[in-house]
Amino acid sequence: MKIYAPLLALLLSAAPSITFAGGSVEAGKGVYEKRCVWCHGETGAGDGPASSFLSPPPRDFTAGVYKWKSTPFDEMVPSDEDFMRMIKGDPSHNGISGWTGMNGTSMPGWSDILSDKDAADVTAYIKKFAELGTPQKPAINTANAPKSTKEGIERGKKIFENRCAECHGREGKGSGTKKLKDDWGARTWPRNLTKAWSFRVGNDVKDIYTRVTVGIPGTQMPSFADPGSNKKLSDEERWDAAVYVNSLDAPRKKPTDNTVIKAMRIEGALPDKTDDPAWNAASVTSFYLVPQIIAQERHFTPSLDTVSVGAVYNSDEIAILLEWDDRTRSLPGDAKAIEIADGDVFVDGVAVQWPRNLAEGEKPYFGMGDAANPVNVWFWQSESAAGAGQTVRLLDAKGFKDAQTRDPASVGLKATGVYDNGTWRVVMKRALTTKDAEKDIQFSEGKFIPIAFAAWDGSNQEKGSKHVMTTWHWLLMQPATKSTVYVWPIVIGLVIAGVEFLWWRSARKKRDTGQGMR
Amino acid sequence: MKKPDGANPAKLLWFVVIVFIAYVIFKSPGWFMNKPIPGSLIMMYMFFAVVAALLVMTSTDESTQGLFAPIKALVEDPSKKIIRNAVFVIAPIVGALITYNQIKPGFDAPVELRATHPAPPTIMKAYDKTFNLATLENPFRKLQTENPEKFKEAVKEGGAVYFKNCFFCHGDKLDGKGHFAQGFNPLPLPFQGKDTIAQLQESFVFWRISTGGPGLPKEATPWLSAMPVWHTFLSEDEVWKAILFIYDYTDNAPRSWVSANSKKDG
Repeated sequence: MKIYAPLLALLLSAAPSITFAGGSVEAGKGVYEKRCVWCHGETGAGDGPASSFLSPPPRDFTAGVYKWKSTPFDEMVPSDEDFMRMIKGDPSHNGISGWTGMNGTSMPGWSDILSDKDAADVTAYIKKFAELGTPQKPAINTANAPKSTKEGIERGKKIFENRCAECHGREGKGSGTKKLKDDWGARTWPRNLTKAWSFRVGNDVKDIYTRVTVGIPGTQMPSFADPGSNKKLSDEERWDAAVYVNSLDAPRKKPTDNTVIKAMRIEGALPDKTDDPAWNAASVTSFYLVPQIIAQERHFTPSLDTVSVGAVYNSDEIAILLEWDDRTRSLPGDAKAIEIADGDVFVDGVAVQWPRNLAEGEKPYFGMGDAANPVNVWFWQSESAAGAGQTVRLLDAKGFKDAQTRDPASVGLKATGVYDNGTWRVVMKRALTTKDAEKDIQFSEGKFIPIAFAAWDGSNQEKGSKHVMTTWHWLLMQPATKSTVYVWPIVIGLVIAGVEFLWWRSARKKRDTGQGMR
Repeated sequence: MKKPDGANPAKLLWFVVIVFIAYVIFKSPGWFMNKPIPGSLIMMYMFFAVVAALLVMTSTDESTQGLFAPIKALVEDPSKKIIRNAVFVIAPIVGALITYNQIKPGFDAPVELRATHPAPPTIMKAYDKTFNLATLENPFRKLQTENPEKFKEAVKEGGAVYFKNCFFCHGDKLDGKGHFAQGFNPLPLPFQGKDTIAQLQESFVFWRISTGGPGLPKEATPWLSAMPVWHTFLSEDEVWKAILFIYDYTDNAPRSWVSANSKKDG
């Protein structure tokens, strides 16, 4: 047996064309031309009809370079299992609900449509575009994954600050200090490590370790196992870094099924500042932001993906805290901002939309209302030049082509924002009621109030109709629990007990008289 | 002394089991399919289930006695003192808890009912024209039999329209799970399967595409749909070709009274 083993290995490595898990190039062509050409193109160059609308762009197979793989940095070809996972997807990618493909891209998981054989055939066909053979080196070993411990996280933090923070930011939010492009000329951004669902294949410690060890070919993310690199880390150090990165996940930023923002009632003045401890009392609800693709000019390549919202109110006012990760602080005219933005820099902004009237049943059209159902929009923008000051506007809209501005001071609307380390926080505040109930939304406790959001990243050339947005969600000013909520159950309990007692007594009386008669 | 006939608790047990099964059935969509029936509806259904069970089980005097005798016995029979005391303590507590659950303030989003396939109008306006939806047909559909090569070409052109305009929401796999789908409510319609576009005529699909969300009737909550008004973006031919594509890709055929009749004739 021992004698045959090297011979077998030699045979396997010398015959790359027959070892590939039975994929047929001919059959793969059929599947590819039905399913894959739309993005990856007929010649595999990543230039299908959809390609110019996608960020990141579809993989160009003719180069034979794959960003995601588990074979070592000095092995160009991904393993068969890597191709399977890229094509079929996997629930372990832990992405947006219902999505099993590559997170943050438009590549879905195909397991419900393609069989294992289809996927193997397609693999054989796409490898043909670059004449790729079988990988000569096996996938890196992830069997030694350590348990996540406090000490491990501490050690990983030091390594992170030393090696990773330069691009991924001090807090791991990928906030830009450098302009990065991949080998195909497409703009790339360091991963925001606090959003586990945005990692291409999930944030499992093993997958993070694989990324750190292999790197991302074609990008500035290097292999930290490359002995020729001055950034090299030992195996233990790479595991520690992976454990630390995994611990950065902030689940509260991931939207859930809940669409209700619960505004909490507090006593005393409402917070004016974004870092006021009063915000700790507010529960946070997060929503997905998607680009405006409904009306001209449509927007397809967003940079912002979620917004988290909290709200508090007192007897006079309501205050809303909007928080969203934005890799760039967009200051028009600022040399650094222009360098990172790769184009014109406009201001950043956020808007909150309300129906003007809270009639039951019908809501305004979620894209800035309609003629029958107008909306109020509270619109905050960052400064247009250093020292110019932030702006807040009040819009009355009856559709996206029909919006009038009004003086926000006339209704006491205030807004102020602070950018820190890759995150914008903006507070908006207004009185619960205004003089003109015809023109302005009037807030009251216990009502489900429709609310929608929009945001702009000026460094992503977002301006006017080019922005990200949400559909209608709800805001509820949660009233203090009334004492009747506790009184009625006690009353009902006592009534039942009373009936029981009367029944029991009458039954005993009947029995006693019955016995007396006997 | 002979026990009353109905002291046998079987009948009461049946009643409890039936009501419990009804509860499990109403709850199971939420437990197993993640599509819960709203609590207020479950309350209503349970009320009808209890009333129906009572009506059937009290249809004769005999069965009525059978149902209530165990309860009567519980109160009146001194030998059941321990059970009785337990029931007498538990019943008021359960009653109080149910009351609390009913009146405590709820913070779940209001349920919004919406018609997925609203009745189409007889005529619609787009491209500065009026279309009669009863007679409207896909001008490229006849190529399928007359000129298969040209048909294939039209399908491919429709695919390019789809992948430049629609797939962001309706998905790479036409499964309604495009990479921006999660931001919308209602979710984009899937075209896979036999229960979506296979149930619709092409004229209906043309109406839904060309007039978009704002063209929906009120019962379909037009204010929530993110479907753009496509006649402002795409030509008539592009819309018809995209329709060809979505049927072809999903191996579906449009519903059509005309073709069914002509097949019979032919």
